[in-house]
Amino acid sequence: MAFIKLNDLEIEVEDGTNIVEAARQHGIEVPHYCYHPGLSRPANCRMCLIDLYLRSSEMPERQLATGCTTTVRSSPPERKIDGKYDVIVRTDSPRVIKAREDILEFLLVHHPLDCPVCDQAGECDLQDFSYRHGHDKSRYVEVKNVPPKKDLGPDVLLYTTRCIVCTRCIRFCDEVSGSGELGLINRGSHDEIDIPRNHAGTPIQLLDNKLAGNVVDICPVGALISKDFLFKSRPWFLKKESSICSGCSVGCNITVEYKEDGLYRIKPRFHEDINQHWMCDDGRLGYHYVNSDDRLQLPQKRVEDELVTTQWADALSLITEKLTEVEPDDVVVIGSAQATNEDNFVLQQFAHDVLKTTQLGLFGQLPGEEHKFPQFTIEADKNPNTAGARTILGSANGNVVLEGETLWEKVAGAKVVYLVSGVPERALNETEKEALGKVDFLIVQDILPSAVTELADVVLPGTTFAEKDGTFTNSTGWVQRIRKTIDPPGEAQADWLITQQIAKQFGGEFEYNFAGEIAIAIAEHVEGYGDATHQKIGDAGVKLA
Amino acid sequence: MADEIIQIETPFQFNEENRREFDELIGRYPIKEAAMLPTLHLAQRQEGYITPAVMKHVAELLEVTVMKVKDVVTFYPMFFEEPVGKYVIRICHTLPCALRDCKVVLDHLKAKLGTDVASETNLAKGTTDDGKFTLMKVECLASCDVAPVIMVNDDLYKNLTPEKIDELLEQLPN
Repeated sequence: MAFIKLNDLEIEVEDGTNIVEAARQHGIEVPHYCYHPGLSRPANCRMCLIDLYLRSSEMPERQLATGCTTTVRSSPPERKIDGKYDVIVRTDSPRVIKAREDILEFLLVHHPLDCPVCDQAGECDLQDFSYRHGHDKSRYVEVKNVPPKKDLGPDVLLYTTRCIVCTRCIRFCDEVSGSGELGLINRGSHDEIDIPRNHAGTPIQLLDNKLAGNVVDICPVGALISKDFLFKSRPWFLKKESSICSGCSVGCNITVEYKEDGLYRIKPRFHEDINQHWMCDDGRLGYHYVNSDDRLQLPQKRVEDELVTTQWADALSLITEKLTEVEPDDVVVIGSAQATNEDNFVLQQFAHDVLKTTQLGLFGQLPGEEHKFPQFTIEADKNPNTAGARTILGSANGNVVLEGETLWEKVAGAKVVYLVSGVPERALNETEKEALGKVDFLIVQDILPSAVTELADVVLPGTTFAEKDGTFTNSTGWVQRIRKTIDPPGEAQADWLITQQIAKQFGGEFEYNFAGEIAIAIAEHVEGYGDATHQKIGDAGVKLA
Repeated sequence: MADEIIQIETPFQFNEENRREFDELIGRYPIKEAAMLPTLHLAQRQEGYITPAVMKHVAELLEVTVMKVKDVVTFYPMFFEEPVGKYVIRICHTLPCALRDCKVVLDHLKAKLGTDVASETNLAKGTTDDGKFTLMKVECLASCDVAPVIMVNDDLYKNLTPEKIDELLEQLPN
């Protein structure tokens, strides 16, 4: 640990911490653009200048230093300043304040100041730092450069005029995605970010790697813009909630940004051991099904080969009737790798305690492709909770959870199947279709009309990750929380709540009021999940022992 | 708009002689990327200007991304991304040459060739219709003692006057 004096604070920081981070840890802002904790540090924006006292507490070093590249270390006793400090730093001295003002004036020289029409306004570092650290006016009277707006790839636009050439996006493509599509063209004040093009401007290569959306997040100004979010909403109108991406088994930490009428965008949230600062575009842009107009809103039942909407009471009594008719061995209950641990736990309890069946299966999205990047992996398993669902469905009595071929064999021989799906879009292969077709009475809990609901006798409207609370267990054993953002459409309900209502028809003793209660029950009953209560998981997650 | 990508139909290859030269020069650098400038010069000499095919080939040879090559090509004004004349005339217009009447020489060249001066982004503006000459202004050519000077491709011509220009242009082979 190094002992430093930061302005008037005496603080201890880890060896190797840079001044920007040390200050941030203690609530002091050192404005910066090019520095990003997940990338290399070229120190080219010059915004994080600080006063450094390396030899005496009286005299600062002759030149200002960049805070991002100044790391502190504990030094031997004879080199300590005033006998105790490893370094003394001032971020509030008059010449630091003056330097910041001047740097900002330079950065704004070619900036169009078009905040009223800029998507970034409200979450823009250039805006915020100008307000807090900048001049109130510019002395620049020459003509500004007006380079053209550019289309870089499937989801990314570059408003070149707004760019301050911090090169975060270039370093991201070089270091994290390793694809290197971005670079600088031209010289000096005509520098522009671009993809390789011919002289006429036609691209030779596009910014189309699966991590490309991250450059929009790390752009400190309004230069790189997501086409998906462009002109959709002002950021300050959006509500935010911490959650987990449901796109694959990595379990990236995300922030869901939403309004009453649906989700607007998804941004990655830092988690040191899982996704660092990043997420992939499949997860980022894959939320649209939540807002879909086709979402199931009411229960449906099959009347003469057609699904018609019905009341909850009607659907529940129909289900109860069918389930009481059959022997436990003729029932298969299938949980979902898209559903939360809580959903699957209640389902498992229902199957075990009420239906007395041991035939539990696991359904989920079909595997995709694995993508490996130098600092990121997108996994092939496209379900957020395969590990959790498998453990929890199998926890009751040491059930073997049926999957794949064996599951469909059992389904083909069953009279009643209760299938929880919640998979956004999934095709069924011939075996699956045939097996489900043979079932006398198929109960499907889903979010959208799908190949599975087509075969169902009763369809119950469930919820997506955005409409319920719960936990997912990722492929590396992290249990993490998803949180309810918007209300479910129509009369759709959280999947565990639906199962509980069916169970109550049988007089089962199910009295869970919210997902957190189920998590406590999981912690009591499921091996390894002892610490996985919502309270302990919080925003950071809990790693299974 | 963004989904249109240039498909390179005829890939660029060094001819035998240039390939030998490339193999020789690549050995002089500690890392391959460091050979970027000489490789690009070599390619430009063969192809006349830097096409997307050239950039792709150079990127492969030097094991860098195409963008890194594009970066260098746009940084230096001596690399052309559009066709230029057989003879590229660079006229110095910095102070010593200006004091020694480079403007007279330039005006004479413009009148004689019937073309304007090329800009970095529009080389066609300074190229004659027959594609023989491209006229461009450059900063100091490091020969102030013999100002005004011009460079025609790789050769320097000193102490110029309109008469000397006439003489020079006539002796250049077609």
